[in-house]
Amino acid sequence: MMQVTLLVNGEERRLSAEPLTPLLDVLRDTLHLTGAKPVCREGFCGACMVLLDGAPAVACLTPVALADGRSVETVEGLGTAETPSPVQRALEEHEAVQCGMCFPGMVVTLTHLTRPGNCAPTRDAVKAGLVGNLCRCTGYERIVDAALAVMEDGR
Amino acid sequence: MQGLAPPPVAVPRTLPEALAALSAAGDGAAPLAGGTWIMRAPIRHEAHAPAYVALGRIAELRRIDVADDEVAIGAAVTHAELAKALSPFSDLAALAAAAAGSANPAVRNAATIGGNLCARGFPAADLVPALLCLDAVVEIAEAAAPAGSRRLPVEAFLADPAATGGGRIVTRIVLKRSGLRSVHVRLPLRKAGDYPVAIVSAAIGVGGGGRVESARIAVGSVEAAPRRWTGLEGAINGERLDPARIAALAASLAPEFSGRDGVEAPGWYRVRVLPTLVGRAIAALAAAA
Ligand SMILES: Cc1cc2nc3c(=O)[nH]c(=O)nc-3n(C[C@@H](O)[C@@H](O)[C@H](O)COP(=O)(O)OP(=O)(O)OC[C@H]3O[C@@H](n4cnc5c(N)ncnc54)[C@H](O)[C@@H]3O)c2cc1C
Ligand code: FES
Ligand code: FES
Repeated sequence: MMQVTLLVNGEERRLSAEPLTPLLDVLRDTLHLTGAKPVCREGFCGACMVLLDGAPAVACLTPVALADGRSVETVEGLGTAETPSPVQRALEEHEAVQCGMCFPGMVVTLTHLTRPGNCAPTRDAVKAGLVGNLCRCTGYERIVDAALAVMEDGR
Repeated sequence: MQGLAPPPVAVPRTLPEALAALSAAGDGAAPLAGGTWIMRAPIRHEAHAPAYVALGRIAELRRIDVADDEVAIGAAVTHAELAKALSPFSDLAALAAAAAGSANPAVRNAATIGGNLCARGFPAADLVPALLCLDAVVEIAEAAAPAGSRRLPVEAFLADPAATGGGRIVTRIVLKRSGLRSVHVRLPLRKAGDYPVAIVSAAIGVGGGGRVESARIAVGSVEAAPRRWTGLEGAINGERLDPARIAALAASLAPEFSGRDGVEAPGWYRVRVLPTLVGRAIAALAAAA
């Protein structure tokens, strides 16, 4: 076992875990943050996306040992039902959410893409940024619309 | 895996500490870079190494040193960092494109060049054919020789199963600035995000008369391991950068490959698309010239 310190959504969390445990399992099973979803567990689908020191990371393939001492942002830290984040509000306004399975990961990646300097405000750039977020309901166009709307507002 | 203790992970801050940790951990202990290959070992029905030594906190392995005559890339540099750092250099465009186009953004934020080069039994590695066409040199350190690290041309490195393992760490990948233009062309079945069914990387020098003077061409994902296509390199010597003509030469030589069957595509398909990819590579080089 290894002692690990994570800065999860701004709060310092200390825990002990086997060092190769996927960060995803630590978040869900130890910290009870179940927003990140285990779907493919092989880095392809993006349902487990978190921001590690601000950059998108697939939590299913991130050994917790490599997250030690770093900041982890999960979908829980990005907004609440009462106070949704700009990305969450835009997704709702654009009626982008279908079954919702991909959305925790989508919200995390879109939060990164819509922060200043991370993505050009074009359809192609947003789509390239979403290559690792699969939506099985294939609602991509409205998701891209929502992202571009947030980028427009931010300027 | 069942019954074995979960592997410990050491997280050293310096290369000598990492080498010491590797040899202390004993036989079979292995470096852990981005983990994007290692973490999927259970899915491939492979056992984990008995112990791992993480490389991500070692500053010297995360550096890219750019000089006039060469670029030295630390083994723990991520695909995302590499794509960004190499984007200004047209002679290294093959490696920049390989790094920028592989996998997906989150995987590129974690996956390293050293991991791509050292993942065993990985036919579809994008960076490897790019490194073959750029004639890269691989630097390796071991506890017995931490300072005087061994240097091997990438082809010799790939051919030698003992080049990694046994407490060795790839420290840097060194590329000579050739001034030639290079290109990396890949064919995934979706537009992006999945493994390419075939890869062509090429670095080609064109003389005054517009004719090919030197060529290094590498093919990935078609056979079990990436390799140079020396037959085609020789055949295009003296030719103009005419995509159709060179694709036809590639078609006549393609039967020398025996394609591997895989989930994304059968072997014959991987060989069949090669001439088209060669044509695309030549078209890209001609357009840039
Ligand atoms: C969803 C997904 C899509 C992918 N798509 C692509 C793709 O399109 N193209 C592609 O090329 N790859 C792709 N990959 C594979 C990706 O895992 C590798 O490209 C990656 O480069 C491995 O690097 P890593 O740092 O994560 O390696 P790790 O998993 O950390 O290590 C891999 C192996 O290399 C060894 N190793 C690592 N560093 C060193 C070193 N410095 N010295 C000695 N040994 C070392 C380790 O011991 C291990 O055996 C994909 C992966 C995923 C999850
Ligand atoms: S569960 Fe991590 S990418 Fe699919
Ligand atoms: S909304 Fe159903 S998977 Fe995206």
